[in-house]
Amino acid sequence: MTGKRLRTVVLVAIAAVLLAIWAFPVLWALLTSFKTERDVLAYPPTVIFTPTLRNYADVLFGSASLLPNLLSSVIVAGVSTFVTLLLAIPAAYALARLELPAKRASGFYVLATQMLPPVGLIIPYYLVLQKVGMLDTYTGLIVIYLTFSLPFAIWLLVSYFEDIPREMEEAALLDRAGRFRALWYVILPQVRGGIAVTTIFVFLNAWNEFLFAVVLGGNRVRPVTVAMFNYISVEQTLWAKLAAGAMLAMAPVILLGLIAQRHIVKGLTVGAVKGGGRRA
Amino acid sequence: MKERTTKAMAQGRRRMLKQTAALGAAAVAAPYVLRSAHAQSNADVAPYTQAKIDWKQAQGAEIAVAVIPASYFDNLIAIAPTFEALTGVKVRFEKVPPGQIRQKAMLDLSSKTATYATSATDPMYYPLYVSNKWIDPIDHYLNDNALTDKAWFDNDDIFKAWRDANSYEGKPYAVPYDGEVTIQVYRKDLYDAKGLKAADTLDEFLKNAAAINDPANRVYGMALRGFAGAGQNMYIYPSLFREFGGQWFKGRKVVVDSPEAVKALDWYVNAESKYAPPAVRNWNWPDIADAFSQGTLGCYIDAHSSASVLMNPEKSKVIGKIAYARWPKGPTGKRCTSIWNWGFPINAALNDKQKKATWLFITWAASAETQARTSWKFNGPAKRTGLNRASLWKSPDFVAMTKDYGPNFVDAALTSLEQDTDVDWRPRVPQWPAIGDTMATAIQAALVGQKNAKQALDGAQARIDQVLKS
Amino acid sequence: MALFLPALVVLIVTTSAPLVYLAWTSLERIDLSMPWLSGFAGAGNYLQMGADPRFWHSLWLTLIYTVSTVVLQVLLGLGLALLVLRIPKGQGILRVAAILPIVLAPVVVGLFWRTLVLAPDVGLVDVVTRALGLPSYNWLGDPKLALLSVIAIHTWQWTPFAFLVMLASLSSLPPDVFEAARIDRASAWQRFRYITLPLIRPAIVIVVIMRTMIALSAFAAIFAATGGGPGTATEILNLYAYRTSFSELNLGYGAALAMVLLAITLAVSFVMFRARRAR
Repeated sequence: MTGKRLRTVVLVAIAAVLLAIWAFPVLWALLTSFKTERDVLAYPPTVIFTPTLRNYADVLFGSASLLPNLLSSVIVAGVSTFVTLLLAIPAAYALARLELPAKRASGFYVLATQMLPPVGLIIPYYLVLQKVGMLDTYTGLIVIYLTFSLPFAIWLLVSYFEDIPREMEEAALLDRAGRFRALWYVILPQVRGGIAVTTIFVFLNAWNEFLFAVVLGGNRVRPVTVAMFNYISVEQTLWAKLAAGAMLAMAPVILLGLIAQRHIVKGLTVGAVKGGGRRA
Repeated sequence: MKERTTKAMAQGRRRMLKQTAALGAAAVAAPYVLRSAHAQSNADVAPYTQAKIDWKQAQGAEIAVAVIPASYFDNLIAIAPTFEALTGVKVRFEKVPPGQIRQKAMLDLSSKTATYATSATDPMYYPLYVSNKWIDPIDHYLNDNALTDKAWFDNDDIFKAWRDANSYEGKPYAVPYDGEVTIQVYRKDLYDAKGLKAADTLDEFLKNAAAINDPANRVYGMALRGFAGAGQNMYIYPSLFREFGGQWFKGRKVVVDSPEAVKALDWYVNAESKYAPPAVRNWNWPDIADAFSQGTLGCYIDAHSSASVLMNPEKSKVIGKIAYARWPKGPTGKRCTSIWNWGFPINAALNDKQKKATWLFITWAASAETQARTSWKFNGPAKRTGLNRASLWKSPDFVAMTKDYGPNFVDAALTSLEQDTDVDWRPRVPQWPAIGDTMATAIQAALVGQKNAKQALDGAQARIDQVLKS
Repeated sequence: MALFLPALVVLIVTTSAPLVYLAWTSLERIDLSMPWLSGFAGAGNYLQMGADPRFWHSLWLTLIYTVSTVVLQVLLGLGLALLVLRIPKGQGILRVAAILPIVLAPVVVGLFWRTLVLAPDVGLVDVVTRALGLPSYNWLGDPKLALLSVIAIHTWQWTPFAFLVMLASLSSLPPDVFEAARIDRASAWQRFRYITLPLIRPAIVIVVIMRTMIALSAFAAIFAATGGGPGTATEILNLYAYRTSFSELNLGYGAALAMVLLAITLAVSFVMFRARRAR
């Protein structure tokens, strides 16, 4: 069976190359974050160097600490995820139970709202937030984040609700449990997996957002994705600090990705695997 | 979907609980994190109270100031408590990345929200701001004895080129806080070894570059910013354009494809493709300074302030090997350096009290005392070199502070500031943002060989005509 | 219906109102650099596009960018999934690696590639090509290579998505069908063509639809990597709209461009969903 073994070796080799391609930019940044500025600029680029923790010390506790920005990100992403779910769950449930034509129309509407080019939305958002005095506030930015997270969450959740057999729900209703109670006690437990998936994706999107955060945030609310760019100043680019900052900014999502990878795969493949087609 | 087992659900919930716990912990830690260590420097306000004005006249006002993340503003922020103590005005600084500051300022100005009392402003944007009436002319503030003690503030001491750049149609609109000029920065050791001296003309500049250029050993003759952008390649090219005799205006029309323009661009393309590292077309000045600090460049022409990077012992390998000179002369015999400063204008949408407070802030920041306190008197590693006053440049303290930069630093920069500046360095019109962007795109197209100089500039002219006629 | 209402209201308020504003702006002449010209323009902004070569160029780039990234993602994703399916061990670690690009912020990805991967001299790719004895290329500085580069960046970040979907889809196929085919002595290609492909078609279709929509609205990664340059070499419609609004300050025309992009995205997805339902 040497032929088979050889094939396995080749396959594993290919897989290893893949792994390298996907992971390498991140690993390279990780490496850079432990270099001194001088090592970063060394030519040819070096893999052997004396690692330093100074970049992290500076980025975390230096004069331009990223800690408040990490906190900003946590608040914005966390709260907007929570509110999104609060609104999206009942909406998705209702949508899943609608009659077909209405469902298609509203389903498409939900999807369409997701396609609005952010570029065209910045100015109206700015004007509105300014009018109500919510520029550079958590409330303001969180409300804006709802505009893209809510449609997405509804869209994702609908397919999970559709999986629930109607009979189960009808049984609950016959039990004279109200609709809300039916939703809470009978339906929700059935879609926990879906909710977990949605939570993860909504959180990721909110954490990674950049354009709105730059324009609508400010001193008080500045997520880490924006703050990171301060290491590219007009005076000089601090590569190693930038890399350290980027690693900090990405650490939570990478961690989340690793811990919840099963859910993520499921989220990505929702509908696709079971052949979908029922979603509007 | 059988996979969604209860176990997975339980895991999911545990994960959620963990997240919530983390959120709680972060919230508890917040006050500690947010409380920045404001060691109130009980700095002396005496030098300011010599001014015969009432610093407290806008007491209680609150103003917000947008700046970019840069050490010269960090120094100002660090000593701002002195201003608050002096005036009773509260200042809130917001650092906005350079790519976004104009956007945010303009969103604020155009919607008249008065979010920022003032923001660090690119001088090329005043024509635009003025034609929209977004900012106030400052002449009446300057001439109001209750607001400005002319003898103490001494506006004429501030570099004329910068004041001119911050004026439009004869009226001043902003006070320069920090600025720069472009000068030649070269490797004295390499030049000495080959018996070269700093170029006096553009031809000599190329000859020097050719003599130093040795790509096989990773030494390139020279580099000039090549990245596309109104503040990148369109920051270098205008100097060349003017030195070749180019005129931006024919009557009221903006002309960018004159024969002089083509010659200037040809020179630029030729120099960059023959003697610069191949990546230079993507380089902004920090990249050039990085390359120079690693010993890969013989010479570059860029802002004098870049010298401070070259002096950073953590990065630089060329400390003690650097010297400076003015821009080389063009074929017309003209030298033309850049005019750049970060000025502070006054947002027209503010109320009167805020405007007064803003003006007090601006004069405080631009005063000789604050300039000195953010430079050689500053208690920190980064000391500003972009001071706005000729008298300060000539002061022994400033000269002493910059003596390690290398031969001729103050002299080259100061002479350039006083003699080589030209207010028509770039076309000052309200449509500058579109023109600057169009020119930057065209110049880069020529630099990377997508088009030749003539084609690129003709294309730019067509687009500019379209923008201006409509 | 009461359940749907709160979300619906939030959606309408937060998305439709700005949309109306955007549509209205697109009918006006608002050029901040020439405030004296402001006024109602009717269809003027839209008519202007016809004679604007930069618009057509950006439209063409949008097409190239979208088609090439989607095709690449599907082909690579499917190929890799088929390969990985045969690896007895280590699928888990590959899945983890594949998650990595997906969870990163596009703006960080663009920055990463610009500074660490594609930068001449010190970039990863340059190090590798030179180690192989190839010359050094200016990946983001050369107009043709820059377009390739941004396509590569997008493909790098999102192929794992296609890969994971395909992998999940393939692993859920019933093994007995293949057994039967093997007994029938069908060749590997025949098995793929007549059994696997039809079975995973729904997965492919959904990948194509989702990726097309994302590719059409791509912005942050290109913005961070090239800003649309060099020149206009990577200026897809989204970037052009952004530059028009925020660099040139022609808000009216920028809004019109954004409306066109929205119309195209809606039309394309509508057609795709239609086609999918019809099948």
